[in-house]
Parts: sequence; structure tokens; C-alpha cells
Amino acid sequence: MDSQYRHYFEAMPCYLTVQDREFRIVDANQRFRKDFGDFEGRYCYQVYKKRSERCEVCPVARTFRDGERHESEEQIRTLDGDELSVMVQTTPIRDEAGKITTVMEMSTDITHHTNMEKLLRRSQRRYHTLFDEVPCYITIQDPDLNIVDANRAFQENFGNGLGRKCYQAYKHRSEPCALCPVQETLDDGQPHTREEVVTSLDGKHRNVLVTTAPIPDGEGGTTGVMEMSADITDVRELEDRLTQLGLLIGSVSHGLKGLLNGLAGGMYLVDSGFTKGNEERVKKGWATVNRNVARIRSMVSDILYYAKDRVPNWEPLSAPLVAEEVCGLMESRAKDLQVQLITSVDQSAGEFEADAQAVRSLLVNLIENSLDACRLDDKQATPQVVVRLQGLADHIRYEIEDNGIGMDQETQERAFTLFFSSKGTGTGLGLFISDRIAQAHGGTIELESQPGVGTKFVVKLPRVRPTQHEPDSSDLTEKDGPHA
Amino acid sequence: MPDDAKTVLVVDDDPDAREFLTTVLQDHGFVTATANDGAEAIAMIEQAAPDLVALDITMPEKSGVAVYRRLKQDDHLKSIPVIIITGISDEFEKFISSRRQVPPPEGYISKPVDHQKLVDMVTELLA
Repeated sequence: MDSQYRHYFEAMPCYLTVQDREFRIVDANQRFRKDFGDFEGRYCYQVYKKRSERCEVCPVARTFRDGERHESEEQIRTLDGDELSVMVQTTPIRDEAGKITTVMEMSTDITHHTNMEKLLRRSQRRYHTLFDEVPCYITIQDPDLNIVDANRAFQENFGNGLGRKCYQAYKHRSEPCALCPVQETLDDGQPHTREEVVTSLDGKHRNVLVTTAPIPDGEGGTTGVMEMSADITDVRELEDRLTQLGLLIGSVSHGLKGLLNGLAGGMYLVDSGFTKGNEERVKKGWATVNRNVARIRSMVSDILYYAKDRVPNWEPLSAPLVAEEVCGLMESRAKDLQVQLITSVDQSAGEFEADAQAVRSLLVNLIENSLDACRLDDKQATPQVVVRLQGLADHIRYEIEDNGIGMDQETQERAFTLFFSSKGTGTGLGLFISDRIAQAHGGTIELESQPGVGTKFVVKLPRVRPTQHEPDSSDLTEKDGPHA
Repeated sequence: MPDDAKTVLVVDDDPDAREFLTTVLQDHGFVTATANDGAEAIAMIEQAAPDLVALDITMPEKSGVAVYRRLKQDDHLKSIPVIIITGISDEFEKFISSRRQVPPPEGYISKPVDHQKLVDMVTELLA
């Protein structure tokens, strides 16, 4: 070796050795000698690894075998006992005939670099664990609202969103949302918060509180946005239940005060009738008491129906029989109010699948509403409620028509709204429950009304329950002409 | 019934309530008239002013609030005392807090009506 090259060899800031086919070190540089001592007669594996036999995987052996350069990462120990990570690179040294005589091995100390890498990997693992385990949905989105990363909670509830648009994964939309907090953050680089309703894989709607944060690009711009959505469905449901409970209590106490007033009136008539020896007044008072007790009973039944979600008890019902039963129930109430209850039942209307108790409640509520409309109308000389039944191909049709006070536009529009009542003694539960029952049966209730003329309810219930046969609009389309 | 008997107009959409109030008042020597909604009440008052109005709040057509405003904003009618009779106390509260340029009603009775309280209040207001 020329003395100049020898000088370079010695000065190289790494461990340089030249090894023969037995891995015996035949030459080494200064840095090697400093950290590992004399090399003469020693083997690579003895010096570097303190082993008595050659390593199973050895880049020097591979270079001898194939004449190529090889590299590997190794752990070695110096004379002082320091553990070092080194990047080993080998290269063959050939004689004039081209035969490999020795292999030069260069080991560069990368301990610091390896330690940094380990720290980085540990830190990345920790942050990824946190990212995955946070109990909310997190996505990282690029400026085109593509999801480029998502945590486990998101993937479990909304599927593997990677590559999909945020609005596709969360809302099953084909267009971006009109108000998008991610877009706002992309625009102004500031965090934003909004409440949204999203749809999970199982089709359930979830209320989420969305908070966005910009991901800076290091040059004052934004490369993407982190979107964090906390599921607040349970909180919202609880709030809704509490609000509904408050409304129910308010509405019930209002209706109850009206009915108690009716009872107080009846009791006054009975008491004063006895005092005055006026039998007619006693009878009138007692009828008032009976009437108001019946209305309280019906209110309690509405409240109980509202309070629990009933699973329908499906059974085949005879449509004419249901109509007759319900009219039979209401007959004495109508008589007491001096309202004529007329029934016009198609005896061949046949059967339909329904929950008997629910359908009876539906019809009783509508007839009570009609009787009340007659009771409140003191201008009608011949108050009457007509109950009709028709059997059609796919559905049965009940009609309840009265010639009572009728409803103005606002009352018609809000008639089926929970807790809406135009009456001083109403709870706003009756028609809401009727409508809910009709919907649970895959049916509808339509309403026609005119103030001072009267009201007609048209109830259409499919013959087959909706789980077996989803009703569509054509099933419920009017097949007969408008009813007189 | 003495000639100078005072007339009370009972306004309520519920026939049971009307029957109750008119019977109580008649038993105590008052003459009664009835209206079953706000529009009818206004028409009757304009035709022949009663000495007192017993007024329900929640009614179809015109509510008791509209009747009260109409009465108290009319120079000829505003001296007629009004007793509000209602089951909804918070609706009454809202009415009281929202009234503009109208004085408070002369009396307020919540449902169910205590008939003795009604008689005492009417007697006092018409004394």
C-alpha cells in the first residue's frame, strides 16, 4: 500500500479491517486498534463480538462467496465494554488474477443514530396508541377533504375511511356539506367547532361535537386538518327525554286542571242540587262527574301508551269487528253528549294484520276528538259523528267524520304534533299517539277540516304488516273516489 | 232576580266549565251570559257591555289574551273588570309579562275553580 493510501487508511473515522477467508484480521486501522487492541492472530468474531465461533450471518463470508459488496447492522463491544451499533460494509480485494484474496470490512459507529431512531419509534408508537385509543373519532384530512389517517374508533364505526371523502364516510353524501368546519380551518388556519349528525356503519344517527385543528406545514401554511368528533348522542338523548318529560308534565297538568275543573263543576251541581232538592241538577252534575272521570281515564291510558315503547302484538283482526267494538265503547259517551254516533261498516271488509289494542286506541282517540269537537260546538243543532269502514285491495280504510267546530289552518297543521292542543282540557297526546300507531302499522292518517263545518280523519292501514311487506306510496294511493 | 242584578259574561270553550261558572253565579244572584270563544265574546261585549267578564285563556279561534287586549285598549270598555280563569299558570305569567300598555287584570283564578273564591271576587269587584 502506498504510504499516502496507508495514511488515509489509518485516518478513516471508522473501524477498518482486512480479513482472510478464516475471518482472521490481517490488517486494521488506527481507530480499530484504539478501541479493540492488537489484531494480529485474532478473528473478527472474537474481537467484535467476543464469540468463539464465526457468526451465522456474516457479510464478509457473503462477499467471499459472491464477490459482491454487502452491508448489515451489527452490535459490537469495545475493549472498554461499550456497546456500539455499527453499519458494516464489505468489499472484496482481488489479486492480479481477479481472485478474492481478502475482504475489507468498514464498520461505522451509528450508535447515536440508532438510539435516536429507537426513541423516535417509541414516541411514534406512543402517539399512535393515544391516537387509536382516544374515545372519539379522529381523522386527518388533506386539503381536498380526503381522509388520510383515521383512528380505531372511527374505523370501527365508519369503516376504513382512508382515501374516502369526509362527507362520504360520515354522512353518505356525494357533495361537501354546506357548513364544513374542516374547510373553515383550511381557509383561516384556526380551530372550529360544530355539532353535527353523522350516520355510522349500522345506520344509526350519532350526534357528534366536531372540533378541527390545522396541521401546519412549517412555512406558515396548512397541509391538512385534524378533525376530532366526540360522540354526544347519549347526552342529547338524555336531554331530549328530559325535555319531553318536562313538556309531558306541563301538558298533563294543564289538561288535568281542565278536567278537575269539570269535576269541581259536577260536584257543585250535585251538592247544590241536593241542598235545593233539585233532582234534575243532581242528575246533570253526576253526568258531568262521570264524563270527566271517563276523560281522565282516557288521558291516563294515553300517558301510559306514550311512556313505554310497546312491541306490537301482531295478529289477524277482523276490520268490521274492530269498528263495531270501538263504536260500542264510545256509544254511551256519545249519548251523554247528545251526539249521534252513526256507523257505516262494510261487513265484507275482511281481515288485516295489526296490534288489536293499539288499533282500538287509535280509533278511540280519533272518535273522542270528534265527540269533543261536537261538544265544543253549541251552534250545531244535530251534532253527529260518522264512523265508516271500507275494505280495499291492499288496505283497509276507516273514516271518522264529525260536524263539530272544525279546525283552523294552524290547528290542522299541528294536529298530530306532540303536546299541541287547541283545547283547554287537552294534553296534546291523543292524536300524536294515533298517528304513531298508524305509522307503526305502515299506515297513514289524513285530516280534512274546515272551521264551523267539521273534521274528517281518514285512516289507511295495510292488510299485511310492514315487516313482511314494506308499504310504498302506491299501496296507499286512493283507489276509490273522494268520500262524501 | 232583582232588577239591578249585575251581568257576568262567562267566556270558556268547555261546556262543563261554562255550566259550572254560570250555575255558581246564578245561585248567588248574578245574571249570566256565555260565549264559547274569543270572537263571540268580543261581539257580545260590543253589543251589550256586561258588568264583569270571567275569561278563559286557551280557546280555539280568538284566545282570552286577544279579548283582554281588545277590552283594555277600548276607552268605552276598559272599565269592565275582568277575572282571568285558566288552568295554565305559566301561560298567564307569560301574558302578564308580555302585556304592553294594558293594566293587569282585576282578578285571577286558577282551575280547578274554587267556587266560593269566585263568588267572593265577583261580589267584591261589583260592589
